[in-house]
Amino acid sequence: MAFISLATVVMLFAFLVQQSLSVIAAEKWNFLFGLDWWAGETYGALPMIYGSLMVTGLALILVLPLALGGAVFTSEYLPARYRLWIKGLMELFAGVPGIIYGLLGVALLGGWVKNTFGLIDGNTLLTAALLLGIMVLPTIMTLAEDALHAVPGQYRDTAFSLGLMKWQVVLSAVIPKALPGIAGAVFLGLGRAMGETIAVMLVIGGLDKIPDPWFNVFASGQSIPSKLGREAAEAIGTDLQWSALMALGLTLFLMVMILTFMGNFFLKRAQ
Amino acid sequence: MKQVFFRILISVVFFILFSAVSLSPGFAEDRREKIQVVGSTTVLPLVTRAAEVFAEEKKDAVAITVNSGGSGVGIHSSATGRADIGMASREISNKERERFKNSDLKTIVVGRDAVACVVSSEVYAAGVKALSRKQIRDIYLGKIKNWKDVGGPDREIVVIDKERHRGTRHVFMQYVFGDENARAPGARLVTGSNNEEQSKIAQSDAAIGMLSLAWINEDVVGIAILEGDEAIEPTLENVRANRFPISRNLNFVVAGEPEGIVREFVDFIISPKGQKMVKASGYVPVHPL
Repeated sequence: MAFISLATVVMLFAFLVQQSLSVIAAEKWNFLFGLDWWAGETYGALPMIYGSLMVTGLALILVLPLALGGAVFTSEYLPARYRLWIKGLMELFAGVPGIIYGLLGVALLGGWVKNTFGLIDGNTLLTAALLLGIMVLPTIMTLAEDALHAVPGQYRDTAFSLGLMKWQVVLSAVIPKALPGIAGAVFLGLGRAMGETIAVMLVIGGLDKIPDPWFNVFASGQSIPSKLGREAAEAIGTDLQWSALMALGLTLFLMVMILTFMGNFFLKRAQ
Repeated sequence: MKQVFFRILISVVFFILFSAVSLSPGFAEDRREKIQVVGSTTVLPLVTRAAEVFAEEKKDAVAITVNSGGSGVGIHSSATGRADIGMASREISNKERERFKNSDLKTIVVGRDAVACVVSSEVYAAGVKALSRKQIRDIYLGKIKNWKDVGGPDREIVVIDKERHRGTRHVFMQYVFGDENARAPGARLVTGSNNEEQSKIAQSDAAIGMLSLAWINEDVVGIAILEGDEAIEPTLENVRANRFPISRNLNFVVAGEPEGIVREFVDFIISPKGQKMVKASGYVPVHPL
């Protein structure tokens, strides 16, 4: 079974590499670092790579305090029967399809961002990041909670017996012990966020440009999946444009792969 | 080992059961003739409407699927055989002719439409009723950034561009820049279908964009184009009289001479009955009603 899945991944990877070759030959490093993507002329993917990193990174920053706080509260403070309720609810939320979040994002979040920050338009990197944050919150929270909950009771008992307060026990005994598992949860959540297509596509603005200044999250942008989603149908059968999209896919594949590997690495260490 | 064998056995049994069900006659087999239509979201509403009536007339012996994707996708699909008919709200470009020179592409004009320069209703109400070609160009170049520079409110302009392969964009850019592939560095947002662009403009109170006539409504207002001293309104009358400067043909694109049921459908669209639907969809008929 492990062999079959490994073979599939390797074949997928080889296919992507093979399809990307012609654009890499044509653009060389300009593919990764070029700022200009104009189908038929030049393919610089940096704005999309930037958009993906920016949106996922920002989503993480926004959601981390909430997800970890929620996980600690659920695992350490909440009575056991409520805990199961919360867990069930989180797992339910984690399974909601991206398009549902996307629709809510277009209908509510875009306008909210626009009005709250006094912008001229609500389709921004920040909107996409907020939406992604909401989407991965349940995943990160429930996995991090698992990690906290799996810390054996004896650590808590020992810490208590030293006369520590509850919050000191959590902070100095439980969390350090659960840290690898929490890190794993975060990376897996990030992986999901980075690959999300439709929800992001609906609110990010679709502009292949790095904003000026680069940290201006109130500007529109473009992520890799959203670019692929918008341009794929047009590019089928073309040489270079299709190859460029495949290379974009390859870039995304590698980025998500690294995140997933790191996630699994930490989760394994936690066990 | 035994367990693995058991699992394989179960999957094989399920596989056989499923294929038996899906291959059995009457379950998956569809005896209806099929027509695949793909492409421009401008042409789409008219074709959807016609397809319904056509299928009804044929006593449902024909199944027509109509999908969007944009003119580029439409031309591409019909040239590569992914669709029987491609819908395009522009002409086939030279590049496409070159690329698909083996597929014998033909266009059949089914109606006429205009691309209007549209603005959010708030901007229109505040006094921007017409723009010249130069003003529109400067807005899309990012040289004019505020509505007050063109007689509107003191509000930054949300410049909305379209995905590059969209027919509406080709026609609009051809007029504004004299180049169907012109870049628009002033763009703030890029949208895809007419519906997407329409809703983004309606949500904003400071947007400018490009839309087919049929998508204009009270939230998304088509402004007049200033040519010299004359302000030409985007109305069906002006399109019919060839006065409005940004107009275009709505095309069916087929690879080779259409035959059989596809031919019948094409003939239906250019028949008086079909042309009445062109009119009902908000476009200008090109064949006698």
